[in-house]
Amino acid sequence: MPIVARRTSAFERRVQLGLIILIGAGILHIVATLAAPMMTASTPYARLAAVAPLHTFVVLPPVTPQSQPLPFLGPDARYGLCRYDTSNGPIDIVAQLPGKGWSLSLYTRQGDNTYTAVGQDGQSTVLRLQLTPVTERFLGLTPEARGQISETRTNEAPLSLPATSGIAILRAPDRGIAYRRETEAAMRRASCAARPF
Amino acid sequence: MFALTLQRVLRRLAAVSTRVVELAIAGVLILGLGLSSSWYMVEAGTRLTTARIGPWTTWTAAARPDADPYTRAHFANAGTLAVSSDVQRSYVARFDSAGERLHSSCDYQVDGRLPRADWWSIAVFDQRGRLIPNAADRHAFTSQTIALAPNGGFGVALAREARPGNWLPTGGAGRLAVVLTLVELRSPLATGQASTEADLPRIVKLKCR
Repeated sequence: MPIVARRTSAFERRVQLGLIILIGAGILHIVATLAAPMMTASTPYARLAAVAPLHTFVVLPPVTPQSQPLPFLGPDARYGLCRYDTSNGPIDIVAQLPGKGWSLSLYTRQGDNTYTAVGQDGQSTVLRLQLTPVTERFLGLTPEARGQISETRTNEAPLSLPATSGIAILRAPDRGIAYRRETEAAMRRASCAARPF
Repeated sequence: MFALTLQRVLRRLAAVSTRVVELAIAGVLILGLGLSSSWYMVEAGTRLTTARIGPWTTWTAAARPDADPYTRAHFANAGTLAVSSDVQRSYVARFDSAGERLHSSCDYQVDGRLPRADWWSIAVFDQRGRLIPNAADRHAFTSQTIALAPNGGFGVALAREARPGNWLPTGGAGRLAVVLTLVELRSPLATGQASTEADLPRIVKLKCR
C-alpha cells in the first residue's frame, strides 16, 4: 500500500513539473516576444540618425550596395528623411505627393508606423501635418493662439497628430536617371520645421 | 544505528539529487521551449500573423498601429521600416514555387501577370536584405521601369550571367530573398479580399551549376 502511495506521488510530481515547464515556457515566450523590440541592438531610428539631422528633410542618394542604410531598403525608391522631436514644441511637416508610388510615413523611435499617406495617380496631394507633443507640460502659446498666422499655414488646416520623437520618411519611386533631377527637386520641396513658441 | 543513519542520509541525498536533476531539466526545457517558440513565431510567423501564397510570405499586420507583438518584434529584429499593410504589401520569397531555397548558384524565371496595384516593384537581395553588387548596377524593376511581355504579363530572370529582357543579377550572393512590393489602392486587398496564388508571380528554377 505505501508503495502505491509513493508511485502516485511521483506521478503527481511529474505532472506538477510538466505544468511548471509549460507555464514557465509560456511566460518566457511572452516576455521574450514583448522585449524583442527593446532588445534590438541597432534600431532603424539609430541607424538613420547618423544621416538625418533634427527637423530637416534630407534627400538620401540613390540606394546602392555601398549606400544602403537599412536591410531590405529598396533601390526602387528614393528616400527623404526628417528626424523629429516634439519635446520643445510642435513640428510642422509639409510634403507634396505628386503621383502614384509616392508616400509619406511617420515612425516612432521604436519603428512603429503611426501615419502613412500615399500619392494618387494623376493627382498631386499636398500634406500638411502638425506633430504635437504628447505631454502635459505647458510649452507656451502657439502663434495661432497669439493671433499670428503660421507661414506654412494656408486656408487648409494642417492635420494634427500626437507624437513624441521619431522619423518621417518621404518615398518617391525611382523612375530612372532621366527623371532623377525632377524627383529630387520635388523631394527637396518637403519641409520639416520646429514651430517656435 | 550508524548504518541506518547512513542509509537515511544516502536516501535523502538521492532524493535531493533527483530533484536537482529534475529542476535542471525543467530549466533547460523552459528556456528551450520559451525562446525557440518565440523565435519561430517572430522570425517565420504563423497563420495568425502571416499569409503564404505560393512561395510568397507577407506579414498581414505589418507596421499597423494595432499590430500584434509578433509582427512588431519581427520588424524590430529585421531592422526595417515597413509601410503599413493598409496601403502597401511586401511579399518576400526565399523559396521557389517548388519549395526549394533560392540560391545564386541557380537561375530562375519569375513570371506572372501584372499585379493589381497602383504601383509595384520587384527586387532581389541576399538573405540578410543586402543589395547584391553587380556591374550593371541593377537590383529592382518597378511598374514604371519593367518591360512587359506581349501577353500583358511580365517576366524577370534571376541569374548570374546577363539575360535578355528583365534581368536581375544574383552573382555570388548565396541564398536569395526576392521582395515584391504592391502599393494597393484599387486592389482586392484594399477592399478586404486576400490575394490568391494566381495574382502573384511564380518562381521557377531553370538550372543550377
